[in-house]
Amino acid sequence: MNLMTGIIAIVIGGIYLVTAMLLPQMTMGDRLGPKLFPSIIGVVAIVAGAVLAFRERNPEKRSKKTDFGFVKHKSVWIKILLTTIVGIAYGLVMDSLGFLIPTTLFMLFITTLINKGRVVQNLIIAIAFAVLTYGVFAVALKLSLPRGFLEQMLPF
Amino acid sequence: MQAIFSNLALGMQTAMTWTNILWVIVGGSLGTIIGMLPGLGPATGVAILIPITFGMNPATALITMCAVYYGAMFGGSRASIMINVPGDASAIVSCFDGYPMTKQGRAGPALAISAIASFIGGTIGMLFLIFLTQPIASAALKFGPAEMFSLLFFALVATITLSEGDLLKGLIAIAFGLMLSTIGIDAMTGLVRFTYGMGSLNDGIDFLAIIIGVYAVTEVYKNFKDINAVYKLDSKTIGKVWISKEDWKRTWKPMLRNSPLGFLIGVLPGMGGSIATFMSYALEKNLSKHPEEFGKGAIEGLAAPEASNNACSCGAMVPLLTLGIPGSGTTAVMLGALMMLGVRPGPTLFTDHPEIAWGVIASMLLGNIILVIINLPLAIPLVQLLRVPTRIMLPIIMGLALIGTYFLNYSSADFIIVMIAGVIGYIFSKLEIPLPPLVLALILGGAAEQNLRNSIVLSNGSPLIFLQKPISAVFLVLAVATLAYAILKRKKQAA
Repeated sequence: MNLMTGIIAIVIGGIYLVTAMLLPQMTMGDRLGPKLFPSIIGVVAIVAGAVLAFRERNPEKRSKKTDFGFVKHKSVWIKILLTTIVGIAYGLVMDSLGFLIPTTLFMLFITTLINKGRVVQNLIIAIAFAVLTYGVFAVALKLSLPRGFLEQMLPF
Repeated sequence: MQAIFSNLALGMQTAMTWTNILWVIVGGSLGTIIGMLPGLGPATGVAILIPITFGMNPATALITMCAVYYGAMFGGSRASIMINVPGDASAIVSCFDGYPMTKQGRAGPALAISAIASFIGGTIGMLFLIFLTQPIASAALKFGPAEMFSLLFFALVATITLSEGDLLKGLIAIAFGLMLSTIGIDAMTGLVRFTYGMGSLNDGIDFLAIIIGVYAVTEVYKNFKDINAVYKLDSKTIGKVWISKEDWKRTWKPMLRNSPLGFLIGVLPGMGGSIATFMSYALEKNLSKHPEEFGKGAIEGLAAPEASNNACSCGAMVPLLTLGIPGSGTTAVMLGALMMLGVRPGPTLFTDHPEIAWGVIASMLLGNIILVIINLPLAIPLVQLLRVPTRIMLPIIMGLALIGTYFLNYSSADFIIVMIAGVIGYIFSKLEIPLPPLVLALILGGAAEQNLRNSIVLSNGSPLIFLQKPISAVFLVLAVATLAYAILKRKKQAA
């Protein structure tokens, strides 16, 4: 586990440090400024990662193997992946379709994914959630939410 | 002393408006409910309830967030007592004696002492807070950039050294957080940094989006494994939610002595409620004449950590309010939300907006009373919420998290950042990379860099300025000392 974390830190720290080094040198004022702090962080990430990875050489101090559970918890990972994709899609359609329809659909999707087989219950949760949150935020708290054709028809 | 009372009177004027009292009740109740749900703690509570604070004035927003915070502290142990599943890490200890009490048919007294101890701990913590904030804030007003940088450095170091876990992984988490904080246009030179050509990153990464990602979405993902959990709750056997004279005799001393301990731990960055509760439990067990009863339903084993936990949440407010430095995940979320509202907690809050600073403090005193009223008579109806299955709660939390994200910039474009942060947070949790240091570094990174650079400019390029300024040197020595302590402690544990 620590070997993987160490390598991730070295790679990300390395890319970051190189990018920091490539920043243009300022000709006046705070010349070293924009580079100084990022350079220190990059070095810290690389050194910490290297020490962490190096420590794994000692079999006595070796950390346990990373258990992502890709096989054992395959269904969890599928749920995470699907939720992530649908969550991003939800955001992408919100501006054009308004709040109520995408929110109901998103909630219906996620409840169906997690609360399997209870179609009516899921439908009620999805619709109630969208209507209640719209009521609280857009109507009671008067916060602006995206308005699609459904919202345009509402008096508030 | 007189100044404190006049400030408190000013605060009461702010806190005692109908709007603010209403939000203390709403925030405290929502916090209690979220804190009670297994797996969800105060940080998640504040993160998903951020949108309700938008549109509020800053004082009301901070008052509401604080109410959610200590509401979650009140609620955290309900699930520990009733179903042996802690609401969050700081409620783990409450399982030790709380659940055995329930099994013995003493759930009523357990719920009662948990609320009473939370109230006593919170009130004592508040008194310390009231007397400490002004001197600390006044001292901090004299801080220049060198002192401020060293303080931030100490806070970040302490976050990883005083908490449990691998130091190096904590350091990596801090480095990642700082990296994220440098993305976007450099405020001092106008130079665009680390955007890799993506124009949308020019304004930097919205740290609240990351916070909602790692504290709400990641938590939901972590719970995916247990979605079919249904907890058996026998509310008929709870009985009267009150304690006997004998219970009071056994608990008043533990509550009084553990409240200052909890407060002190809360003030230190990185030492949250979980450490406070474990330390209090260990202390009481050592002091008890009947240590063998601990773990078998000893009421003081529940009272001591509960008092300590709430005092700890008051302690955590000290660095946030007086220095603008959050010492825990929850206070970091609160700082992030406040910065969105254009308020920067710190020493100047007490001089520029005393009505906000003292209004919040006064509201916490008031909220403590309101919460004990909510949590004693309403204990039985509240615990019924534990019957709501996880598989229904999780979608609701996910939905609220995304709606909250929308309100950050009134745009759904941040959903991408939130969802990706959620997955990365989940992977980090598998790699055991701690998330609170990353979030703290992300929030404090900008201030740390600015103060570092200002100090270097002031000293004509000499880094010795950090040692030449006495207060700055003290913070650096403290940072080194906590680091040495952490290394020695871990070596001892390994041996």
